[in-house]
Amino acid sequence: MISRSLRRVLVLLAASALFPIVTAAQNYPKVSSPDGWPSPSWEYPPLTPQTRKPAPRRDLSGMWGPLGGHMGGVQAGGVLSKPNNGRPENALPYTTYGLELYKSHKAAEGADAVLPAENNDPRNKCEPLGIPRYNHYNVRLTQIFQDPTKVVILYHYDNRWRIIWTDGRKLPKLIDGGVEIDGQFREQRIFGYSVGRWTDDNTLVVETVGTYPEDRVWLDSTGRPITDQVRVTETFKRISLDELEWSETIDDPKVYTKPWETMRLQMRLHDPHTDVMEYYCSPYEAEQYNHFFGNDASGK
Amino acid sequence: MPRRFVLAGLTAAGILCLSVVASNQVTRVPGAEYDSDFPNEKPGPAPRRDLSGIWEPARGPGDAIQANGAKNMPDTGRPEHQLPFTPEGLKANLANKPAWGPRLVPSALSNDPQPTCEPQGWPRIILHNYRTAQILQTPKQVLILYQFNRKWRNIWTDGRALPVVDDVLEPRFWGYSTGRWVDDYTFVAQSVGMDERTWLDNVGRPHSWEARVEERYFRRDAKHLEATITIDDPTFYSKPWVALDRLPLRLQPDSFDIREMECSPSEFARYQKEFAEPAAGVASETPR
Repeated sequence: MISRSLRRVLVLLAASALFPIVTAAQNYPKVSSPDGWPSPSWEYPPLTPQTRKPAPRRDLSGMWGPLGGHMGGVQAGGVLSKPNNGRPENALPYTTYGLELYKSHKAAEGADAVLPAENNDPRNKCEPLGIPRYNHYNVRLTQIFQDPTKVVILYHYDNRWRIIWTDGRKLPKLIDGGVEIDGQFREQRIFGYSVGRWTDDNTLVVETVGTYPEDRVWLDSTGRPITDQVRVTETFKRISLDELEWSETIDDPKVYTKPWETMRLQMRLHDPHTDVMEYYCSPYEAEQYNHFFGNDASGK
Repeated sequence: MPRRFVLAGLTAAGILCLSVVASNQVTRVPGAEYDSDFPNEKPGPAPRRDLSGIWEPARGPGDAIQANGAKNMPDTGRPEHQLPFTPEGLKANLANKPAWGPRLVPSALSNDPQPTCEPQGWPRIILHNYRTAQILQTPKQVLILYQFNRKWRNIWTDGRALPVVDDVLEPRFWGYSTGRWVDDYTFVAQSVGMDERTWLDNVGRPHSWEARVEERYFRRDAKHLEATITIDDPTFYSKPWVALDRLPLRLQPDSFDIREMECSPSEFARYQKEFAEPAAGVASETPR
């Protein structure tokens, strides 16, 4: 029979042998800080057949960052899948009203950008961005949390959170000016109403309706329009332990003649100790920027 | 007696009985409305080291609106609510022009950063219009999701120390927060490094760069949590003071839908132009 002390030694030896394996299982960018507040790192270790671990079942939780690094989800030139660069392949299927709306938007970015002081982007006055624009504006470190009833997305920009219900509730019915839930009218929301369902063990499909109208929100920083008639479909696919693909398609018949894919963002898992710096919008600072820089740049 | 009259009488009696029962018992609808306290309720024991859930002021949704300042020290002008300002703190307090409380100015003349949708930061988010909040726990964090403006903040529980507050530290609207369990039912977090541009509350109480905020959550039972906020800011206040004293919060169902409560600069500008400026007799740009 093994003595108690020997058993303890064996357990400790087993634990120390296991520890490097557990550590090696993580493919986070390495972060460090003598004070314990590590800044993000964007040096992703390469994934090989040996280091790529299987995706956990029905689990998106963790801190995720764009595979392209800190600029990988910025999307200043427009949504990832269709940047607004004037190329024919990126032309959008506007309806007549959609094109008219696009032309009324004076964006500070994209093929039709105006000078900073002349733009009318609601973001530059710190208006709420709305869904889906939160997915197209400076997506950086994004934390996802799950419990049995919901998935919570914590956006870096402006410390905003959003709920996706996974408890089986139905997507509300889109009606004029809002949605209908249990036969009652409910208000439009900046983040809309989102429900998600697992289509397989690694794929969550999320639908959102009930968002803000076109006089309040834009689709992206180049002034593409979006309306309250949109149905947004997002797919979160956990490819492996360290990889997530976040894609999005919009169906907005008021401004686009057919649904189209806006984003297919590849993300990698980050160290959960990473300290996310604040990224806020201040109307006062925006005004000061325009006063000291933007207006000058526009000759005003 | 015709049968239909008997049925009608029985139905009326039934409705009367039901209404009596209803008035004596529960009038809440879990999941559909706020789930508030009711008499003779006996909640189960508190779970160990667990704050997670959706929480709402237990005495009703309006219990922590705090229009006239921090709930435990509202600005009433009464001696018991006088804060222990240092001369520097008093000067900062007088520079703030609130639209609430005894020192109120017309809202068009206020320099409160909140209505113009500047980030209100920590701890004002809990001392202003504190309604529903969801608390998430991971092994390394306590995350709090506030209803107002749908903002989240993070309290690290991974053992890291608070940063040193010096000239190098970057100010943050939400500060730097760490927390720990002092016993199985009491979680205490400390925050430092809050941006000095934020106010503590609606009546313009200020804080300095040296401020430290303690938040204490006591999990009283399965259904309740108590929140206490203490301000320790020796630059502006000669001694620590309690801004929120054991505010009772009640657990809501997991399915509870937190409605949006947004701040929109353009809506505020329109309000200023159409109502606040005419009321104040001014017609200029919004002062800051």
